[in-house]
Amino acid sequence: MTTSLTSAAPPPVETKRTAATPPRRPRSRTSRYAIWFVGPFVVLFVGMYVAPILFALYKSLFRIQRDALGLGGTQEIFDPLFNYAYALGDEKFISSIGRVLLFGVVQVPVMLVLALGIALLIDSASARAKGFFRLSSFAPYAVPTVVSALMWSFLYSPTNGPVNQVLEVFGISINFLSQDLALWAVANVVTWGWTGYNMIIIYAALQGVPGEVLEAAKLDGASPWRTAWSIKIPLVRPAILLTTIFSIIGSAQLYNEPFVLKQSTGAIDASYTPIMAAQASLQSANYPYAAAQSVLLAVGVAVLSVLFFRLTSRRSS
Amino acid sequence: MKSSIIKAAGVASILTLTVGGLTACSSDSTSGSGSAEGDGKVKEVEVWTWAAGYDEAAKAFNASHDDIQIKYTQIEPGNKGGYDKVRNSITAGNAPCLAQVGYETLPSFVAEGNVVDVTEFASADKGLYAPAGWAGVTVGDKVYGAPQDQGPMVLFYNKTVFEANGVAVPTTWDEYQAAGEQLKAAGVKLTGTYEDYDYSGFAWQAGAPWYEIKDGAWSITPDSPENLDVADYWQGLIDADLIGAGIWSDEWSAGLGDGSIATIVGAAWFSGILKDSAAASAGDWAVAELPQWEAGDAKTGNVGGSLSAVLKGCDDPEAAWTVANWLSTDPGSVDALIEGGGVYPASLAGLESDLLTSGDDYFGGQVVADVFKTASGQVNEDWAWGPGVSTLVGTLATGMKQAYAKEGGATVATALTGAREATESELKQQGIAVNE
Repeated sequence: MTTSLTSAAPPPVETKRTAATPPRRPRSRTSRYAIWFVGPFVVLFVGMYVAPILFALYKSLFRIQRDALGLGGTQEIFDPLFNYAYALGDEKFISSIGRVLLFGVVQVPVMLVLALGIALLIDSASARAKGFFRLSSFAPYAVPTVVSALMWSFLYSPTNGPVNQVLEVFGISINFLSQDLALWAVANVVTWGWTGYNMIIIYAALQGVPGEVLEAAKLDGASPWRTAWSIKIPLVRPAILLTTIFSIIGSAQLYNEPFVLKQSTGAIDASYTPIMAAQASLQSANYPYAAAQSVLLAVGVAVLSVLFFRLTSRRSS
Repeated sequence: MKSSIIKAAGVASILTLTVGGLTACSSDSTSGSGSAEGDGKVKEVEVWTWAAGYDEAAKAFNASHDDIQIKYTQIEPGNKGGYDKVRNSITAGNAPCLAQVGYETLPSFVAEGNVVDVTEFASADKGLYAPAGWAGVTVGDKVYGAPQDQGPMVLFYNKTVFEANGVAVPTTWDEYQAAGEQLKAAGVKLTGTYEDYDYSGFAWQAGAPWYEIKDGAWSITPDSPENLDVADYWQGLIDADLIGAGIWSDEWSAGLGDGSIATIVGAAWFSGILKDSAAASAGDWAVAELPQWEAGDAKTGNVGGSLSAVLKGCDDPEAAWTVANWLSTDPGSVDALIEGGGVYPASLAGLESDLLTSGDDYFGGQVVADVFKTASGQVNEDWAWGPGVSTLVGTLATGMKQAYAKEGGATVATALTGAREATESELKQQGIAVNE
């Protein structure tokens, strides 16, 4: 709130100066300067993001056509809807989308509740060793996801894994990577890796909660629990929304963890998640289909995110 | 106000992250200058391989040639990202002239139009190679590169464990299963799992093809009646609990090293894997010929093996062939590859290497190359790969993992059927004719 007020305040000195000089020149000079400042960003943004996206969109409009035996090289034929229609009828691709939806619906709330809880605990007045807990809960994020997935695949191992070796004492053996559990085994790895990251964002927002508000609550006799629920959480709502949207995008892009765990189980196949499915299409050298799958995924995530924003902003207004 | 900024940022990042993810993959090739640059001066031929030892071979080539020089880059193994990198570089137009490609993947590269027909330069050198190797580089009647190595299948067994349990070396598959039952009583698993190409070797030996051309269309037949016979045999081993840890897993390596997994049925190049994975059990292992379906037969399969393929966009295929042929046949080059990557050469000159006539300490002094050489002459010749191999084998691996885990009623047979169906639908999607 306060930031938007200060930035909206007009700079009075500036207007006086422009009145003395001819009106056009400074404006064009400002816009010339602006180009120098904005230019590098625009060039990079267009070159690295916009152009590849447009290229992927363009590619997705072609159909791969080989000859009868497929040994005579490849033609790409303009057939705008072919890949999209195929993707919508592609059982594996559709079920991969269903899978990450289920994953997101369960994993994202669990992770964010954890992150929020840890952030509130570290932020609370009675917390000790804040630096240690902040760092240690953030540390898993510093481990590359491929490495953490490899580590977890060892922990999950039914015969050599330490978890099952401990369980064996009680006569229990759990195959964490079985058909029923594999998705949740992946969810666990993701939660382990990303809770700390989200916690830091929420924790940073908690630092911005004005001290006088907290003091007022204290004077009014609010318990720490009450303060957290009625003051802190509503005030860090934007940060929670931001982490939610990041997590939704992250779920849609689920790749590293299941890809690594795939080595150890038949429950995870080559098109387990939409990105893996697109990657599998690349491996069979079907670039246009991979592009179409990616575009569909991007559109799906965009729709979801917009819906999410609509829902949350309606409730707040 | 804040939320609208977040909204805009959110939508922008969604679009860029998700679609950007795809294109990032196709733009990661760094080496700029592509193929042979010939303008009367020294030609440069760029070579990408994953097998170790090529760097030494390339140095030797550069030292002995003035007109052509190799620019060498090591890449990831094909299925671990190497093929993606090669395909991406071809798409981007900055591909090397030569890249290592597995025999099983060559038909897919041909189908994609990613390799160049070099028959006119190569055919004169056909006699320099073992038949299995030459078959590997030929699709239809065209040649696409120089055979580099081959993978005739043999039986690796832990001699110490076999002797301790009074198990005889099996010569037929029935005897192999019986050996497994004996070992089971001693708490030793007969072998690890075979999930993808490793499994295809069994079908290859049995003369049960996965790809056939009939009436101008592909028949995909991994679950043909002959193949189901092979599948039944392996299902029997699974049901009898004779099979241990998953191939390539840490448990598998540990089992090979501590004697709790007694055999590997696999290509000659497993000797190198064994030395790495089970260094602790040096001196325990030995090599025998592959068990047969019928006593007295002498047939084997082939797993793996690769060629130096000439890639699309190479502006001097003749120079590329010269380099590829030299790398495969020059004694010094072959020795570097044998020492570096443990490859089993496909050229006749390579098979005569001194490195392949001496006893191998790891195998208790056995001259294992003699067994490999016998096997390479017994490789079944009626096997051909076709397009869509990566999907076929990838789907098979998933199904086989389920079969070994005995999950959800999965069997070797259902894994093979699943692999066929996935391959058929992929080929049809690309307009290739498929017999059903």
